[in-house]
Amino acid sequence: MNEIGEFALLLALATALYGVVSYVMAFRSNRVDVFLSADKTPIIVWACVMVSSIVLWRAFMINDFSLQYVASYSNIDLDPFYKFSSFWGGQKGSLLFWTLILTTYMMVVHIQNRKQNIRLVPIALAVMMVIAVFFLVLLNFSTNPFEVIPLPPEDGRGLNPLLQNYWMVIHPPTLYLGYVGFTVPFAFATAALLTKNLDDGWIRLTRKWTLVSWFFLCMGNLFGAQWAYIELGWGGYWAWDPVENAAFMPLIVATAYLHSVMIQEKKDMMKVWNMSLILLTFVMTIFGTFITRSGLIQSVHTFDEATLGYYFLAFLGVIIAFAVTMILIRLPLLKSKNELDSFLSREASFLLNNLVLLGIAFSTFWGTIFPIVSEAFRGVKITVGPPFYNQVNVPIGMVLLALIGIGPVIAWRKASWSNLKKNFTKPVSVAAVGGAIMFPFVPLTDKSEIFTYITFILCIFVMTSMLIEFMKGTGARMQAHGESPVSALSGLVWKNKSRYGGYIVHLGVVLLFAGIAGSQSYSDDVEKNLSVGERFHLRGYDFIYEKLLVKEENSTKTRVIAQLGIERDGQRVWTGMPEKEFYKGQKQPVSEVDLISTLKEDVYMILADFNPDNSSATLKVYVKPMVKWMWLGGWVIAFGTMICVWPDRLEARRRVERLKRQEAIFMPAQE
Amino acid sequence: MKKIRIYMMIIAALVMLAAATHSWAASQMANLENALMCKCDDKCGKVLINCTCDTSKETRKTLMAKLESGLTVDQIIKQYVDKYGETILSAPTKKGFNLSAWITPFVALVIGGFGVRKVIQSWMRKAPAQNDSQAGEADEPQPETSSGKYSKKLHDELDRLES
Repeated sequence: MNEIGEFALLLALATALYGVVSYVMAFRSNRVDVFLSADKTPIIVWACVMVSSIVLWRAFMINDFSLQYVASYSNIDLDPFYKFSSFWGGQKGSLLFWTLILTTYMMVVHIQNRKQNIRLVPIALAVMMVIAVFFLVLLNFSTNPFEVIPLPPEDGRGLNPLLQNYWMVIHPPTLYLGYVGFTVPFAFATAALLTKNLDDGWIRLTRKWTLVSWFFLCMGNLFGAQWAYIELGWGGYWAWDPVENAAFMPLIVATAYLHSVMIQEKKDMMKVWNMSLILLTFVMTIFGTFITRSGLIQSVHTFDEATLGYYFLAFLGVIIAFAVTMILIRLPLLKSKNELDSFLSREASFLLNNLVLLGIAFSTFWGTIFPIVSEAFRGVKITVGPPFYNQVNVPIGMVLLALIGIGPVIAWRKASWSNLKKNFTKPVSVAAVGGAIMFPFVPLTDKSEIFTYITFILCIFVMTSMLIEFMKGTGARMQAHGESPVSALSGLVWKNKSRYGGYIVHLGVVLLFAGIAGSQSYSDDVEKNLSVGERFHLRGYDFIYEKLLVKEENSTKTRVIAQLGIERDGQRVWTGMPEKEFYKGQKQPVSEVDLISTLKEDVYMILADFNPDNSSATLKVYVKPMVKWMWLGGWVIAFGTMICVWPDRLEARRRVERLKRQEAIFMPAQE
Repeated sequence: MKKIRIYMMIIAALVMLAAATHSWAASQMANLENALMCKCDDKCGKVLINCTCDTSKETRKTLMAKLESGLTVDQIIKQYVDKYGETILSAPTKKGFNLSAWITPFVALVIGGFGVRKVIQSWMRKAPAQNDSQAGEADEPQPETSSGKYSKKLHDELDRLES
């Protein structure tokens, strides 16, 4: 059976190569017969990779330890749920998983555009196939997941215990869906450059792909943060690790693109800029993969066998050289109208937003590669950790937050003073009043607390300006159509999905900012070594250490649990069960935290150490405010994005009308 | 009674002093844990304050002992840098070549800011002079401008003529 999987990978490679050649030939020579022969290749490549993946999943499920990959990342006692996710637990499987998603997207693009967009789609598919060929070459000749062990072991080494968490089943696929998703807009942008079809066509075709990829990348980052919070047991959720940065950077660049592309759609401006941003987003996704798989930069997330650095570096070099060359060659064709009436305009605020977003992406990139720069110039290896990113990115992030409130309510083209006064008086006043009310209650003893206070004021400003937009629209509909507030609000959102969906995403981002600020600055913690029956107090909670339990879960896993009674105002509110899990063959135990999570605060309990002889335990407890706001913000972002991508006939009609208007302006009627 | 009051005051002062010393020690320890990376065999790559491995526990004990021996945070950090090199620090120092790590992002932002300003200025030069009545165009439908009214009237009259 495993031979079928291996053969399917070879077949996929051969078909993808054929697809690339035939699509390009068909396009260059305008031959329908060649095009028709290429037409089935996306489906065949996808089917081959799917067969290969099913074979590997089967090997995990039936404990086929003759495969080196299965023996390395699974064992007999592993829960079937985690056997399923072991597929992407190591380098080889994760590359196959990446290829599976890529070829699935390729097939969807093929089906979506079967009888349309013939000017771009063949070349876009050829570009996607070139990328698939790269991954298939790696899978066939460098990191084959079907490599066989001559003498198979009786049991496997097992999956890293840290990965045995439900968030680790959800987080990597979500992240990959986002990472790989940006291949589609990249392929269409490249196709537009190659075929000189540099109007808005490629943007319209890939708008939803970009939004969906952005959504998955955003949720992937948040799911990763939740995994870190629950599983790593240090009370935090984001450590600015190079691999976290690698997932964060494309998200930020893509966010800049999503904003600036609106200017091109509405005003036919910034063609070069948008093209560069989408190419940069894709480059960033490959850079992230390079970091994970090169072992060049030290990271918690790097794969054990990080040996593919040179392949990815070469691939990255080729992509960058190609993208820069193509943009330079097509520069005359990318010239757009580029007219602006005033600094005080939405266009200018979007440019500022792009500058700030790219500033964050650049500082993150700079921090990630600075250890290599330092080693190259000074011969001294250094570390760039959270203190650097927090000090550099926090002030820039606060400017970004302010722009979230300013951008959407400032007028297109030119804002008059009366427009500014009308739109900003209320949000600024509410923020000022909010700041004054908060002032006596929030501590302002250090820089971090002052930044948090300013962030809260900015959050109020943005929230108010967004809510006013909703209220204005709802009021107008109530007046015009005599609707009830609820139906007016839902009608408003439904009839202007991209605009109000975007505002909802902004509300989610505000919650995210507030959650990060609150949990970073106002957290409290205590670590105590306790005997059974002893108690301690933290921020209104009393913790009583009740007992130590030892449970043999199975032959490979032992759990040590500390039972804690938690009281508030003399009432028992929770029984905490933080634990440590010991896995056979693993040096370090894994912490399983216990958590009371409310909108106000999280009570986060860790069993730091224990002594089985006298049943004493060292317990660390954090009280972290507003953590839940971040997760809630994530769901609000998800909801807003869903609204944005929901099919909208009205918006499609509006876009067609706008295009007609643009054509009428730029292409005067022929005599 | 007066003596008791004095004893009470001394005890309260001692308790407050002990609490202040404890919180000062805790903040010094937190500063150290934030400034240093964990140096375990597994190369966990975490800042000490975020690390939960066995090595980090040992390091914390050593650091606490050093603080209690009277060494300052800076002295302890220097000892660690001498022993392990700069890689033990969680962030680059703010001097010499490392200063470029801190400055470059802001320099890039300032240069980008000037670039954006220049771009906007060049776009503004290209823009034809706009009628003030067109300023402040937001997403909402705007009241009809006078030229719009006339063109509607013209269309209506042409329609009437054709019919």
